[in-house]
Amino acid sequence: MTEMLLIQIDRSEGSLQRLIGLIERRGFTIERMSLAEAGLHREVGIGVRARDAGRAVDVLARQIDRLIGVRRIAPSADTVHSEGAVPCTA
Amino acid sequence: MTASSAAPKIAPLPAPKTGARLVVEALDAQRVEFVFGYPGGAIMPVYDAITEASFKHILVRHEQGAAFAADAYARVTGRVGVCMATSGPGATNLVTGIANAMMDSVPLVCITGNVASPLMGTDAFQEVDILGVTLPIVKHSWIVRDPADIPAIFAEAFHIAASGRPGPVLIDLPKDVQIGVVAAPVQATPAKDTARRLDPSQLRRAEAAIGLAERPLLYIGGGVRIANAVAEVRQFARNTGIPAVSTLQGLGALAPDWPGNLGMLGMHGTREANEAVQACDLLIVLGARFDDRATGKLSGFAPHARVIHIDIDAAEIGKLRDAHIAITGDVKTVLPALSPRPLAITPWIERCARERARHEARYDAPGEGVYAPALLKELSERAGDTFVAACDVGQHQMWAAQHCRFASPFAHLTSGGLGAMGYGLPAGLGAKLARPDAHVVTISGDGSFIMNIQELATLKRYGIALKIVLLDNASLGLVRQWQELFFDGNFSEIDLSDNPDFAAVARAFGIDAFRITKREEVSAGIDRLLAAPGPCLAHVLIDPKENVWPLVPPGKSNAEMMHGEA
Repeated sequence: MTEMLLIQIDRSEGSLQRLIGLIERRGFTIERMSLAEAGLHREVGIGVRARDAGRAVDVLARQIDRLIGVRRIAPSADTVHSEGAVPCTA
Repeated sequence: MTASSAAPKIAPLPAPKTGARLVVEALDAQRVEFVFGYPGGAIMPVYDAITEASFKHILVRHEQGAAFAADAYARVTGRVGVCMATSGPGATNLVTGIANAMMDSVPLVCITGNVASPLMGTDAFQEVDILGVTLPIVKHSWIVRDPADIPAIFAEAFHIAASGRPGPVLIDLPKDVQIGVVAAPVQATPAKDTARRLDPSQLRRAEAAIGLAERPLLYIGGGVRIANAVAEVRQFARNTGIPAVSTLQGLGALAPDWPGNLGMLGMHGTREANEAVQACDLLIVLGARFDDRATGKLSGFAPHARVIHIDIDAAEIGKLRDAHIAITGDVKTVLPALSPRPLAITPWIERCARERARHEARYDAPGEGVYAPALLKELSERAGDTFVAACDVGQHQMWAAQHCRFASPFAHLTSGGLGAMGYGLPAGLGAKLARPDAHVVTISGDGSFIMNIQELATLKRYGIALKIVLLDNASLGLVRQWQELFFDGNFSEIDLSDNPDFAAVARAFGIDAFRITKREEVSAGIDRLLAAPGPCLAHVLIDPKENVWPLVPPGKSNAEMMHGEA
């Protein structure tokens, strides 16, 4: 199952690399992704899928939340295919 | 009134400063005591400026030593450790130390030089993307693009490294940023207080669960040391009588002679600790993270227990074991807020005490050779409450954890999460600088010691009175033990019988050194070591076939301990 997360993150150097790297390191694949500028921040929509049954998306969300520069994280019903979205397969 | 006194007062413009000068001022503003580092091309402007710094720079002989020394300084003092290196190989040599700090939640500020901004991304000489390399092993990191940002970035870096769950941060300084001149740097803004408020309903639920438990158990982790919550944990244990087990990082949180202290749990834990975990009906987790070395096979860990998990890091709760009651907060704040009603757990307390007495370690091993557990026990007891052990990784590390007496968790420095051989000597160096009053002893093995042996030169240069116990079994002992037990005795690449004469090597560095080869020499050797006015190494020859017991085989439950011959 692909679970959607909507993340608001600072536009600082390395922030996207940090976010994507964390998701993959923690045992999830990135199924979809969208990116939009929002003033000083970025709004990132990410669809993630656990690589095995032992991985919980709520734990992942807390791990993302503790990244410096993440302002907000919430589950999202469908935020991916807005204008400018970049679908990708990890 | 003179003409000059009537002139309007105009504040003088601040004198322009280089980025390098701002780095030094930023470190002085944080009241940094020591910076552990090694110069090189891309960090030379900062080294040019540090000759006027208030802090002391400790020139190590390898950047990994700088990171480990800063790590130990931070663990002992509770302050932020600082290390510095040049670009490329200097920066990558820090990486193991940064990962070590990340795994054990140690606050470090790591400063690296880099090639000038226009050269970044061009594969320039000694260029490496150290920000990219270290992304998974830092709490946060920056490439400074404008020297005017240096004061603000450094202030934020120190705050992030030390706040919440501590960890290492990295600041990468391109060379042009170091030599760039700034008239009006951006000043640091005070950090916001991000402390969470405790959830009273979870506290009340925890109190109720404790009140109902018949066999409650404290599971103490490194978070207790980090939160400086030793007094609170001891008070809670005294008030409730609840027995306790500790992780490798939690050792020392309880007084060694407190009857409810069952010692270390896990792979090389005590029988009484692992048995208590298996039997308990409530596990109260204090700043621990269910590490696999502690839990063994997770599905078999504490099978009858409800779990109260208290941790400052919300991401640790539920990561490996679901918590029935989750309390996100600082152990130092949470424990005093818990007031469970008086417990009726006397049978459980008596059972734990009985098991502790029944499984007490014995030190009457047969033979004339040096028995390492007995030596370590005697060493720690003779050194007393100011004993601080900086351990390397291997059998000696586990013997130290099992048999040394630690008056507090600040007295036990060990690479727990990463398990980095080579930690012990530079860690001892950093700890002794932080605690010159203490008996700081590096406990090492022949495999680990040679990985950072060059730091003997640092001891000599600064006259750091670190004591070293080098337990030499002429092999990679823990690997040899696993090959004996789990690989049918197929000994592969563990023989170190061609080791150098470590005492002679130490003397070549100008360090006092001697050998202990027989059991009868141990007490006099400890006397000599502890009385030595300067750095001193005891090269101790031990039986290559000695194993660490007990042992939970990898992948097995803690209920399936092997007890060996001990």
